[in-house]
Amino acid sequence: MIPSAQGKRPMSLKVLFDNPPGLIGVVLLVMLLGIAVFAPQLSPYNPDERVGRPFQRPGEGHLLGTNDIGQDILSEIIWGTRASLTIGVVTGMLVTVAGTTVGLVAGCTGGTVDSLLMRFTDLVLIIPFLPLMILLAAFLGPSFYNLMLVIAVLMWARPARIIRSQVLTLRCRTYVEAARAAGASSGRIMVRHILPGVLPLAVAQFVMSASMAILIEASLSFLGLGDPVQKSWGSILYYAQARGAFLTGAWLWWVLPPGLLITLTVMGFAMTGFALDRYVNPRLNRRQVCG
Amino acid sequence: MRGRIGSQLVQYLALIFLTIALNFFLPRAMPGSPLARLAGEDIAMMSPEMRQEIMVRHGLDRPVYVQFGLYLRQLARGDLGHSFQRSAPVASIIAERLPWTLLLTTTALALQTALGVALGGWAAWRRGGSADYGTMALVMLCRSMPSFWIAMILLAVFGAGLGWFPMFGAFKPWLVGGDTLAAIVDVLRHMVLPVTSMVVLGTAETFMTMRYSMLDVLGEDYVRTARAKGLREAVVLYKHAGRNALLPVATVFMLSLGFAVSGATVIETVFAYPGMGRLMYEAVLGRDYPLLQGCFLVITLAVIAANIFADLLYPLVDPRVRLT
Repeated sequence: MIPSAQGKRPMSLKVLFDNPPGLIGVVLLVMLLGIAVFAPQLSPYNPDERVGRPFQRPGEGHLLGTNDIGQDILSEIIWGTRASLTIGVVTGMLVTVAGTTVGLVAGCTGGTVDSLLMRFTDLVLIIPFLPLMILLAAFLGPSFYNLMLVIAVLMWARPARIIRSQVLTLRCRTYVEAARAAGASSGRIMVRHILPGVLPLAVAQFVMSASMAILIEASLSFLGLGDPVQKSWGSILYYAQARGAFLTGAWLWWVLPPGLLITLTVMGFAMTGFALDRYVNPRLNRRQVCG
Repeated sequence: MRGRIGSQLVQYLALIFLTIALNFFLPRAMPGSPLARLAGEDIAMMSPEMRQEIMVRHGLDRPVYVQFGLYLRQLARGDLGHSFQRSAPVASIIAERLPWTLLLTTTALALQTALGVALGGWAAWRRGGSADYGTMALVMLCRSMPSFWIAMILLAVFGAGLGWFPMFGAFKPWLVGGDTLAAIVDVLRHMVLPVTSMVVLGTAETFMTMRYSMLDVLGEDYVRTARAKGLREAVVLYKHAGRNALLPVATVFMLSLGFAVSGATVIETVFAYPGMGRLMYEAVLGRDYPLLQGCFLVITLAVIAANIFADLLYPLVDPRVRLT
């Protein structure tokens, strides 16, 4: 399934195309990205404008009907793609950069710094994160940026742990020892020799964190802690729930589509991540064939 | 072993301290007067004298470290403060809600572990086949769905649409004090939809762990020996391989034990289930900060209790841990 399990493994698109789930994941993500980028062209109405009677059923120019104040649901969902993908990508990036930095510094430095950093990481790992996020979001006030910050602050610990364990295995490789013998400074070894080795793992972590961030944003928005001005899939569902959409037939076009899109996005990220994981962790493949 | 538990204990104490410190400093660090967040009074409408009086009553005129000391003393007495919205102590409100969350989450945890083990073992046994890939795809799909969305759909279909299960709450108030059996059935009926939502979401991790660990175990020599002895496949699978494959699953189970209490937040909100999660949601809606903080502290304590329980239980499950 992977080009070659040992030696140099060139990072190429072929990896994805050899792996059907990975391919499906990438196609899903590209499609969603297209929707997000071309939202102004794709959406039939302005999502913030009242363009019809409230609670309209699908049809009559509104493919998915209208919401409680007469906004076009399809347009809301299309624009929501932007918000959700932005949250996913930006938060995923923040998480990965923070996690990689902590993991790299802890793994490379060792000693007291390492044990202190890892103590702190373990602490963050056992904090009940959804309640803390609710608490923080409630105090900071609902805003798009606060939401990303709050999610990132509590999610970096897992990547940090994973990156650190990879750093520990890289640190004793011969090429690192050779660099050290050649007189390279520890900073240079960290950035030039070890960082490239953990990058594929960091990319896989980015993909996973992005999908987690999208799910968490949806949950927080659903609890009414999202940005009230920003249309996101979670906030659409919040209003659907608040206005009792599932009591009438309205859940079919008001609740089902945004949730399906969240599911597709998370699956897109997860399948891509799964394929990447296979690629950076050939051990998973070997386990597969045993038996 | 003793050293490990000791360092874990330090970790838990640090977490409790962090939680308390967050609860103390968050309302004070935000911009604007902390009065509104700590005392819940409408300060804009008050004269300066009245404001001063409230400041003194809540100790806000004292130095910060004195305030922190007073806060610690208050917590040590089991006093979590007073809710703004309901005229009741936070501790007693939480004591009323916590059992419902525990009922919901322990049931879901037991069911999802059983289901994950059964499906994961089966998928590993049929590895590479369409049954394996089919269950894997299904489980991955379930894991990608937002929990509250699953809950909303179940509610729309089986609650509002078909009317099979009650739509909200944990019990019918008019059944309380009547026939015990009818009351139990009623509580169970109220649990079906929330627990199903949790299980749909939560099975994935157990399934994945069981599948991988079973694949590992199935390659071992003793499994081949068992097969060579002519034992039935089911016996080999569940008696020889299954028992050893269960160890990583136990780890996952114990890790999720801690998160079970906090995980129910969103699902309880959808079903208006009177647990801790719903309580937090209500506290957010009403900007009831003392209640919100009380919930956070109690959930943290519950997570730590579950972790300690898991630490103590683990050597019983895996005897090899005892030796190290």
